[in-house]
Amino acid sequence: MTTAPSPVREPAWSLPRAAIGLWTTEGAISAVFLWLGIGAFLLFVPASAGGPVPVLRWVLPTLGLAQLIVSVGISPWVKHRIHRWEITAEAAYTRTGWLTQTWTLVPISRIQTVDVTRGVLQQMFGLATVAVLTASSQGTVRIWHLEHGMAQRVADDLARRAEMVRDQAT
Amino acid sequence: MPPPLPAARRTSPRVVLVHTVTFKQARQLVPVLIPILAATGFGGGMTTVVLLAIGITLLSLAAAALSWWRFSYADGPAAVVVTRGLLSRSVRTVPNDRIRGVEVEEPVVHRLFGLVRVRIDAAAGTAGQDEEVLVDGVPRAEGDRLRVAVLTHRAPAGEPSADDVETPAEEEELFRWRNRWLLYAPLVGSYLALPAAGVAALFRLGDELPDPLLDPLPDVEVPGGWVIALLVAGGLLLLIAGSIIGAAVVNWKFRLVRRGGTLVAVRGLFTRRHTELEIDRIRGASVSQGLGMRWVGAARTGALVTGLADAERRGQLLPLGPRGEGWALAHRLVEDPGPLTAHPPAALRRRIVRALVLGVLVTAGGALLLATTGRWDLLVAGVVLTVLGVPLARGLYAGLGHAVGPRSFSVRSGWLVRTEAVLEQRAVIGWQVRQSWFQRRAGLATVTACVGAGSGGYDAVDMDAAEVPAFTAAASGPWAGALAPAGARD
Repeated sequence: MTTAPSPVREPAWSLPRAAIGLWTTEGAISAVFLWLGIGAFLLFVPASAGGPVPVLRWVLPTLGLAQLIVSVGISPWVKHRIHRWEITAEAAYTRTGWLTQTWTLVPISRIQTVDVTRGVLQQMFGLATVAVLTASSQGTVRIWHLEHGMAQRVADDLARRAEMVRDQAT
Repeated sequence: MPPPLPAARRTSPRVVLVHTVTFKQARQLVPVLIPILAATGFGGGMTTVVLLAIGITLLSLAAAALSWWRFSYADGPAAVVVTRGLLSRSVRTVPNDRIRGVEVEEPVVHRLFGLVRVRIDAAAGTAGQDEEVLVDGVPRAEGDRLRVAVLTHRAPAGEPSADDVETPAEEEELFRWRNRWLLYAPLVGSYLALPAAGVAALFRLGDELPDPLLDPLPDVEVPGGWVIALLVAGGLLLLIAGSIIGAAVVNWKFRLVRRGGTLVAVRGLFTRRHTELEIDRIRGASVSQGLGMRWVGAARTGALVTGLADAERRGQLLPLGPRGEGWALAHRLVEDPGPLTAHPPAALRRRIVRALVLGVLVTAGGALLLATTGRWDLLVAGVVLTVLGVPLARGLYAGLGHAVGPRSFSVRSGWLVRTEAVLEQRAVIGWQVRQSWFQRRAGLATVTACVGAGSGGYDAVDMDAAEVPAFTAAASGPWAGALAPAGARD
């Protein structure tokens, strides 16, 4: 079955390619922890233990391998295709997600604060996240993994325009 | 220019007595006292107990007096300032424009001393965080003055009225509680929960009764079945009575009036609560009906107010009543957006598939168990689940719906508690559209209207994906046009 067209418009701009590197690194780190756990299980739980252990000795490494392939080899590229963003004259607009896609649109007039955050990994890749907060706990737009200079410019621009057109903001 | 500093006021000295009697400050010492008591024990008998009681009361008196002495408040033209703290002074300044509501409470002990407690709600900088200023123990007249002064941002000197039901010309009563609505209470989960806990505690007590007490029971020549039936009937009666009493205590003489630009709700049997909501901050209303309430046509209505702490309780405008009243009230606050549009059949299919997958899995497991060990109970559970799944799915589907009117829109979902939120267009401060892989295949999407009031977001679950741009554009400002696909733009 072919996928239906997306319900709403696709935001115009894609993320820098450095984001793929960041997601790959994140996937690799989670895989390392997962394999540490699997290794500990294989080492310390004897195969002779009863119950589901003999089955788990095969199932866990298989799942671990699948996770490694998906999180390092597949999901960063898919995410890069899905994650898009756009600042229009009136609103901030993003699409995020992977298997489940989420589009978020927030009008600039309702913006309360704009944050720029840089995680440790993000700094290594020269990236930053712009978070646009409103009075609603659910109405938060996060533009992940923009180049740092770009993120700063976007945040400044949004904050300045929000100041100019602000209405009651609630 | 700094506003002129208003004179600092104190709470009434009588509050020291109130707090001594209720051990308000001394209660914090309980965790310290228990281990001390456990260590020393009640060895001394009666004298120790009396001495302890006197000691604790004196301690309570001292603590109450100290905290009264160190507490002062001032309501100025620009802000409310509260000073307190024993060792480290804390001064809290709340600007008037951040104040979202004032509540005057009269707990029983306060009422004996002619005092009230004033709760001032203020919105903090970020979403969902609110701070509260509590002025505990002022005379009733001063409480009313403070409420009026804070809400109108001006301090009228010395015109407080003695009663909390003032009578300015523009007052309009929206509705008044009728005691027969209490009969709905046993069908509402939250009212049932309290007596249910009580009944459960009783049963546990019955289990722990010493055997000699229970022994005489079987001697009475009553068939065992009757005893159990009586016990169950008694428990049910207790539950029903408890829920009705609970609802009566909370909602006694509930009264909702509009006074100028505010809605005032007064209620409570022991503790009278007086809640004010600024109509200007109301963004919508929610009407919810539980499963049992739907059978008898009951509903509860709440206002969705921006920046209101504890909104679940304070926003309540009709705690319990007939559905017609609930809707009439909701539509007085927000324009009726018209009848709901049902969601596409694909949404029903999704619900049926979801319900059946669980049932079929359990059935398969049960069949496996029957084949291997001969146990049949899991199989029966699986079949029951599968059979019940379809009506459940239909019920869930019937709950879905959305509607758009010229100035408002509404979304509805839920089965156990079906909630319909009616929102003004200006309430929307963002849209979120979510589509999972399964939804994409079925041509559905879930749309969340982000709102700075109530729960923060209201979902139209599984609506037709093709309808999303039109719905969002119609239900909010022109900015939502950014969601429209390039081809469909006008």
